[in-house]
Amino acid sequence: MTAFMRPVLLNSCAMAATEEEARYRIDVPIKGRQGARVVALDEVANGILRRVARQGWNAARFLELASRGAAAVVLRDLDGVLSSLGEQLETADVVVMIATADGDEHAASAIGAACTARGIMTAGLILDAGGGVGGAGTALRPHARVLMVTSDENDVSEVLLALRA
Amino acid sequence: MLKPEINELLTRTGPGTPMGAMFRQYWIPAMLAEELPENDSPPVRLKLLSERLIAFRDSEGRYGLIDEFCAHRGASLWFGRNEQSGLRCAYHGWKYDVTGQCVEVPSEPDNNNFCANVKLTAYPLVRIGDVLWTYLGDPAKQPPLPEFEFALVPPEQTYTSKRWQESNWLQAFEGGIDSSHVTFLHSGGLKSDPLFKGAKGNEYNMNDLKPFFEVAEADGGLFVGARRNAEDGQYYWRITPWVMPCFTMVPPRGDHPMHGHFWIPIDDHNCWAYSFDYHPVRALTEAERQAMKDGHGVHSANIPGTYRPQANKDNDYLMDREAQRAGETYSGIKGIAMQDASLQESMGPIVDRSKERLVSADTGIIKARQRLRKAVLALRDEGVVPPGVDPAHHRVRSAAVVLPRESSFIEACQDALTASPGVPQSTV
Ligand code: FES
Ligand SMILES: [Fe+2]
Repeated sequence: MTAFMRPVLLNSCAMAATEEEARYRIDVPIKGRQGARVVALDEVANGILRRVARQGWNAARFLELASRGAAAVVLRDLDGVLSSLGEQLETADVVVMIATADGDEHAASAIGAACTARGIMTAGLILDAGGGVGGAGTALRPHARVLMVTSDENDVSEVLLALRA
Repeated sequence: MLKPEINELLTRTGPGTPMGAMFRQYWIPAMLAEELPENDSPPVRLKLLSERLIAFRDSEGRYGLIDEFCAHRGASLWFGRNEQSGLRCAYHGWKYDVTGQCVEVPSEPDNNNFCANVKLTAYPLVRIGDVLWTYLGDPAKQPPLPEFEFALVPPEQTYTSKRWQESNWLQAFEGGIDSSHVTFLHSGGLKSDPLFKGAKGNEYNMNDLKPFFEVAEADGGLFVGARRNAEDGQYYWRITPWVMPCFTMVPPRGDHPMHGHFWIPIDDHNCWAYSFDYHPVRALTEAERQAMKDGHGVHSANIPGTYRPQANKDNDYLMDREAQRAGETYSGIKGIAMQDASLQESMGPIVDRSKERLVSADTGIIKARQRLRKAVLALRDEGVVPPGVDPAHHRVRSAAVVLPRESSFIEACQDALTASPGVPQSTV
């Protein structure tokens, strides 16, 4: 008898995958993500960042660039407190970068490279008002595990929500 | 993760539900043409979007898709006689034409007009390619017929199969745009499947197990690009289109035919996976067609005379632990269709998306859900026609290309991602 003709597990799938069995699935509350960092890479992105930050989040930190094109990336949170990129990444488990076509390319690649070196997951959301992905998109491409080009700023909160940020 | 109420919103497709209303905006595959092979062939029972229907082909070759149950006392017309241009209920002989119109009530006197006032709900059923398409929405808003390339190429260039999947449509569909599982679940098939093997692109796949993703909006849905390293600092891109609500294509491999799927709700716990293969510019070879019939590539080996896969949940999908251990298959299940189906069915009939832990590689799925939700709500609240209804949105293709590093796939692949009759696919 060939393996092909031999059901080996006594048909347990048929029972295990029913709706009734769903109530026996172990149900423990899922802890939200503790290390999400959301970084805006230009002025328009800053505006989006502030709007999104107002919604309730787990432990996500919302950060802007303290200055554009700076050699070392300095970040500023929404209370105006400055920190270095290294400090922010110490406890990060995902970094979501938001930019328009005008995003700071230098910061994009510095943050992306720092995350790659530390094994931190990255995502880039490029808000496209018809102007293409721009320099920030190109700078992010080698580093961002996922790059989403979108015309809808709601995608930012959508992604953060899905990541339990 | 998704809030429970959004999960409900996107997964329920019966009459009166918002997602049901959205599906009723589109022409969707109702069945394969082979199910009604000739005039007066036996009627076929089917359920679509939680409506029980009967399909038949009358003596003149017209197709009908009507309410399964006789207007007289509710017997199933499946037992009926398909004869002389109509379907006659086996119980008391009431007869209906393809429009659902009752044309004869034998117990009534001749020339009595009682039956003129008896009409079963009926939907259009139209053959395009190997598929019979229907539209379950408001007749006044019926859109133009679909223009998917797989259905429009000459018959010798295309093949479509279907299989019953015992899960909600959404989790089946999500597998279609979830490029990150391919590296794991389907890794065995790249080397052995006659419809995949031998392509240069497969090497890129196998040499780089951590693809990067890019998600871009399209008029009718999305393009999801998966990028891997290629030689000389270039990237190998595999681009998957999604046309709303439930059409997806798999990026091609070499000169193999291109393939894709439709994920059609039967009811909230079951769906049809339509799987097609076509080549834009040449006939399928006999060997290719045979491989498809045998369940290779995206197709499944079904129980003869049915559309239920031979490997199904009643036999644990013919799990083969030895093949799993030896690495012939990653999960122990044979064939990519059943590799997907087994895992998707194992999630339960409707997976509870509030329990997920998504990662950034899942962004394609996150975005697709968001577009569905927006479209459902825009239709419900403002009557906005959703993307994917316009046949112009159907003219997409998947692509597999090698691009310079700095290229954006969406800009570089405009032509490659557009279906153009007589133009070969872009593939590596
Ligand atoms: S790894 Fe994705 S469902 Fe388990
Ligand atoms: Fe798959």
